Amino acid sequence: MSTIQELIKEIKNLKPVPAVISQLLEIVDNSDSSMADIANIIQYDPVVTASVLRTCNSAFFGLKTPAESIKDAVSMMGIDQIVEIVLLKSTYKSLSTSQNGYGLHEGAMWKYSVSSAIIAKQIAKKFNMQNKNTIFTSALLKDIGKTVLDRFVQDSFEKISSLVVHENLSFSAAEKKIIGIDHAELGAMIAKMWKFSPRMVKIIRHHHLGDISMVKDKEIAAVYLADCICMMIGIGVGADGLAYRFNYEAMKELGVASDDISLIIAEFAQNMSAVEELLKVV
Amino acid sequence: MKVSNIPGDDLVTYSLGSCIGLVIYDPVVKAGGILHYMLPDSTIDREKAQNNPFMFADTGIPRLFKSVYSFGAKKQRMNIYIAGGAGILDQKGFFNIGKRNYMALKKMFFKNNVLIRKQNIGGNVNRTIRIYISTGDIFLKTSGSREKKV
Repeated sequence: MSTIQELIKEIKNLKPVPAVISQLLEIVDNSDSSMADIANIIQYDPVVTASVLRTCNSAFFGLKTPAESIKDAVSMMGIDQIVEIVLLKSTYKSLSTSQNGYGLHEGAMWKYSVSSAIIAKQIAKKFNMQNKNTIFTSALLKDIGKTVLDRFVQDSFEKISSLVVHENLSFSAAEKKIIGIDHAELGAMIAKMWKFSPRMVKIIRHHHLGDISMVKDKEIAAVYLADCICMMIGIGVGADGLAYRFNYEAMKELGVASDDISLIIAEFAQNMSAVEELLKVV
Repeated sequence: MKVSNIPGDDLVTYSLGSCIGLVIYDPVVKAGGILHYMLPDSTIDREKAQNNPFMFADTGIPRLFKSVYSFGAKKQRMNIYIAGGAGILDQKGFFNIGKRNYMALKKMFFKNNVLIRKQNIGGNVNRTIRIYISTGDIFLKTSGSREKKV
C-alpha cells in the first residue's frame, strides 16, 4: 500500500467531530440567521448541550444564575461566546493527543489550536472582516492533518529535517517531498470528509500559503498570520521549529504593519491566563 | 519572570520562539532569575506594559535585574545568558520580531555596560532554557534535540 493510500485509510478511521459543527457553521456567519436559529441547532444535540451548559456554569464564567438551557446561555453570554464554546467542545478530542513526530506533548496541539483560533478572530475583528466564525474554526482545525501525519513525520524526521537545514525548504515543503503530502493537504482532505464547507476546506488547505496565488484571499491570509504569530510567541512550535515561510504579500493584502503584529501579540498575551483557564474548563 | 536564591530551585522558561529568554545569575550569593519577554518596546501599548511589564524588553529587563539585586546580587558579578529570538523563514526587517527583541536587549546592555557571557540566538529553532540556582548551571533545549548544558 502506498503512503497516500495508508493515510487515506487512517483518516477514514478518525472519529469525526460532531455534526453540529458543520450545521452551525452553515448558518452562523450568515447575517439572515437569528440567535434562535443558532440556539436551536445546538440544543438538538443533547450531548453537546449538556457539556456546553456545564462549561457555561463553571466558575470560569462566573454567571450569577446558572444557565439551564442553551437559550439562557445565549442570552447571558452572547451568541459568539456560545458558538466558540460549542466549537471548542466538539474539537477537543480530535486535537488533544500528543504528536511525537512534531514534538508536541499532550495538550500542546490543543493550546496551539485554541490560541490560533483566538488570534485569528482578533485579526478578523481588527480588520473588520466578515465570517469571523469561519475564520475562528478554520484556524482551530488548520493543523488537524498533523494528528494523522504525525507518525509518518516521526518515521522520516531525519530526512525532512535535513531538507529544511540543507536545502532551506520549509517544513511543510519537506513533508511533501519526503512523504508525498503535507499536513495542510491532509487536513483539507479530513475537513472535506467531515463535510465542512468548501470555504473552510480551502482555508485549511492553504493555511501556510504554499500556493502564492492564494495570498489575495483575506480569510486565508488572516489564518496564515495567526499561525505566524503563534510561532513567534512559541505556541505550538515543536520539532518543526519556525521553519515555515513568511509572506510579505499577505501582510500587504491584510494591511498589517509590524506594529499591528506587536499589538495583536500584546493583546493575546494579556489574555493568556484567561486562555489557559479556558483550555482547562473546555 | 522568575527569580530565586533557594538552592534547590530550578527556573525554566519554555518554548521561546521569537521571544528572548534572559538568564542572570550571581555565583557569589547564588541567586538568579529568568525573564521571558515577547516584544521589544513597551511604547506600543503603555497600558499593557503597566499591567504586564515582563512582556516587553524595556520594562522587563530592569525589573529582572532589580529583583535579583534584592538577594544581594551585584551587576559586575552577574553571569548573563540569552537564548531565543528565532524567526520564521524569510522574516526580515521590522517584521522580524525575534531580531528586534535581540537588538532591544543589546542596546540596553550597551548603554548600561552589561556583557553577555553566552548566547544562542536567531535561526528558526525553538528553545527552552533552565537554570539551577545551587550551581548556576544553564541548560538549553532546542526543537528536535535533547537538553544540553550550556
